[in-house]
Amino acid sequence: MRFNRSTFALVSAAILTLTTTAMAGAVGSGHATGAKAKVAAHAAIQRGGTLVFDRGADIISLDPTQVSDNESIWADECIFEPLYQATSNGKALIPDMATSYTVSSNHLVWTFNLRHGVDFSNGQEMTSADVKFSVMRVAAKASNPWTFINADIKSITTPSKFQVVITTKTPWAPLQADMALFANGVIPNNYAGETAAVFWQHPIGTGPFMVKTWQKGNELELVKNPHYWQPGKPYLNGVNFVSVPDDNTRLLQLESGSAQIDEFPAWSQVSELSSKAGITMSLFPSSWTQFLGFNEQIKYYKDVHVRLAISDAIDRAAIVKAVLYGHGTVANSQVTPALWDYDKSTPGAQYNLTKAKKEMAESAYPNGFSTKLLVGSGNQNELTMGQIVQSELAPLGIKVTLQEVNGAQETTLQDGSQFQMSFLYDTTDIIDPDELMTFAAAGGSGAQGTHAEFTNYDNPQVNKLITEAEHIFPIASRKKIYDQVQLILAQDPPMAYLFYQPFAYAYSNKVHNFNVYPTGNYHFENVWLSK
Amino acid sequence: MLLRYVGRRLLLMFPVAIGVTLLVFFSIHMVPGSPAYTFLGPHATKTAVAAFNQEWGLNRPVPVQYWFFLDRLFHGDLGESLFYQSSVAQLVLTRLPVTLSLLVGGALLSVVIAIPLAAISAVKSGTIIDQIIRFASTAGLGMPSFWIGTTLIIIFGLVFPLFPVGGYGTGFWGHVDAMFLPCLTIAISISPQLLRSLRTSLIDVLGSDYVAFARAKGTNARTILLKYGFRNAAIAAVSVLGINIGFLVGGTVVIENVFALPGLGQLMITSILDRDFPIVQGITLIFSVVVILTYLATDVTYALLDPRVRL
Repeated sequence: MRFNRSTFALVSAAILTLTTTAMAGAVGSGHATGAKAKVAAHAAIQRGGTLVFDRGADIISLDPTQVSDNESIWADECIFEPLYQATSNGKALIPDMATSYTVSSNHLVWTFNLRHGVDFSNGQEMTSADVKFSVMRVAAKASNPWTFINADIKSITTPSKFQVVITTKTPWAPLQADMALFANGVIPNNYAGETAAVFWQHPIGTGPFMVKTWQKGNELELVKNPHYWQPGKPYLNGVNFVSVPDDNTRLLQLESGSAQIDEFPAWSQVSELSSKAGITMSLFPSSWTQFLGFNEQIKYYKDVHVRLAISDAIDRAAIVKAVLYGHGTVANSQVTPALWDYDKSTPGAQYNLTKAKKEMAESAYPNGFSTKLLVGSGNQNELTMGQIVQSELAPLGIKVTLQEVNGAQETTLQDGSQFQMSFLYDTTDIIDPDELMTFAAAGGSGAQGTHAEFTNYDNPQVNKLITEAEHIFPIASRKKIYDQVQLILAQDPPMAYLFYQPFAYAYSNKVHNFNVYPTGNYHFENVWLSK
Repeated sequence: MLLRYVGRRLLLMFPVAIGVTLLVFFSIHMVPGSPAYTFLGPHATKTAVAAFNQEWGLNRPVPVQYWFFLDRLFHGDLGESLFYQSSVAQLVLTRLPVTLSLLVGGALLSVVIAIPLAAISAVKSGTIIDQIIRFASTAGLGMPSFWIGTTLIIIFGLVFPLFPVGGYGTGFWGHVDAMFLPCLTIAISISPQLLRSLRTSLIDVLGSDYVAFARAKGTNARTILLKYGFRNAAIAAVSVLGINIGFLVGGTVVIENVFALPGLGQLMITSILDRDFPIVQGITLIFSVVVILTYLATDVTYALLDPRVRL
């Protein structure tokens, strides 16, 4: 998944942040009475109310098979539910539209038992035919972005109304997690008898909410699904996802009470929001890792000593302080601590200029070289990181020129491997490591064809281990393999792993049970508003 | 004569608007960056990109794509958004009222602010009141509109919660309520120029021979100001206002961004960043028509105010 285009918002936010935060702070202190007036966590649940959720951008599509931006993904997850879902800590899976599954001894045939008594928002009962139709849609077109997730599925059959049998081409360990991907969310078979175009105007799902209106580019209004299967839920009457690109306006709307949640306040505002009366500022553990990627098509970066030297020369703590205002943690691995495959002991490169100089001396380019670093022209975070990297590589004799391009061009150049160095990041959509590993570490023509996140890194040992982990079933065995992969990536890094970034949310104290999962989604069926 | 002029200008609007779309179409295609990569995100494999380009006709030569755009346009179809996958006309039309009400409301409020202040400043020329008004207008000129907007939100949305903090509101009065602060922001940006232009013209007019003659005839000061002063001074002010509205059409995005208004400016910026070509084309067409009509209205008003002007 990729965070949406708010370049304009970033530019304006960068200019406005200091001035307006100070002004808003002055206003806020007017009604602050000292200690934060938090509503008791275990207060009796209150029903009703519509929650206004401010975000930097609107959704692109309601069709979960067609989206790759987080705004769409996380909103779609309020409407459609897959067979499984992640637990709130992102470490395990729990049943959603399925209640259980069995797998054959050769690990090729998976039988999912569906939940009984689940109705779509139009009152129609959910059955196996709906699940089959929905899962098949994911890879129905070559241009669908999530085709790779279901690539190992050979066939799907529906022996009974509440059983779905998925046969895979190989013993496919990530399948249960794949079935928790939003794109595999269940919709009615054959679009409930409508054309696809008509269906997506007012889509039908089994989730806690359904679409009331969508003013494209502005606001998605969801209302409670009267047929929702969890008794008594959702507590809210509705959720309005409103597009408010300006960081300061989102903050002011939250303070004024016209919105209850501000998604991703500016990092410069986080500390101040933490002590503001009536507002809770939460930093939820995420799967977001920020990197500095090296393109191995460039001769310098084929040399592991150069990659290690650069990795050692970067003061990650300084970057976390400058970019996230200290609200992140230094990375030691490609994987974040929020995911089950994270290996705390991975000896990922850390700031050590002496070691960096030693590595550089051992490289084929001991006297350094000139190189370009791709940065988004409106992206203040990348510009700041770029300037830090520029100054920190100077002692190694590496002269870095910042190559500023606009957002769309940056994406095109990154995805086309047309860069020398570039800032890249990862988040995962499923809790199984396979999505990230095949995307950001596997080289060659790995499952996703992304050549280790466009770096053209191709370590046969890493490729072999990642493939092996896809076909081994005890999770403990898989964990050992991923630990090995992380160790190799520390010794032969395709990227300099910089920091782990949490998901920052500021919300009114009237909002209860709001929780963001490491995959970035939220479950509004559990959320309630106090009067 | 006037009608013939208006008719001719309206006819000329078509080639001008088409010319603008031609320039924008080719220039946006020249800027690097592919909508396929933006739409498909990090999982944009070569196969998926090729399929996306094929599906949307983006693999055709740019002149051919422009020809298809023109063909659709002459059939009343602005095409389909690559991202929202829905009609551009529908997207644009739902946002047009927001931008138009911002422009019209801003222009009206700027007139409401500028006229009385210009009159006081001209009549009290050289006094401390005149100095204060001129200083305030200079200060208004120097303040960026995003800062004015944010300040107004803090004062009138948070400290004194009289108006909503952003958004377009619902229902007619909800829209009026929500649009007041954005329009005021525009008015504060435009009115200093209008005020200064009006003040200078009024001072000239009030010092002219025909006004001295009217005074000698015993005409009262109010009639002189309203009948002779404003009518003549307004000619220059109308030009200033017209030009400013023309510039504002492309500049509403800042106001829309600060006030979270779902207008065309915001859609235009995100569409340019995403390379959603059909939306960029559609909005460009609408903007060019609005600018042309604004300048036409300015010329017609000019002629109506001053019969010596022949169109």
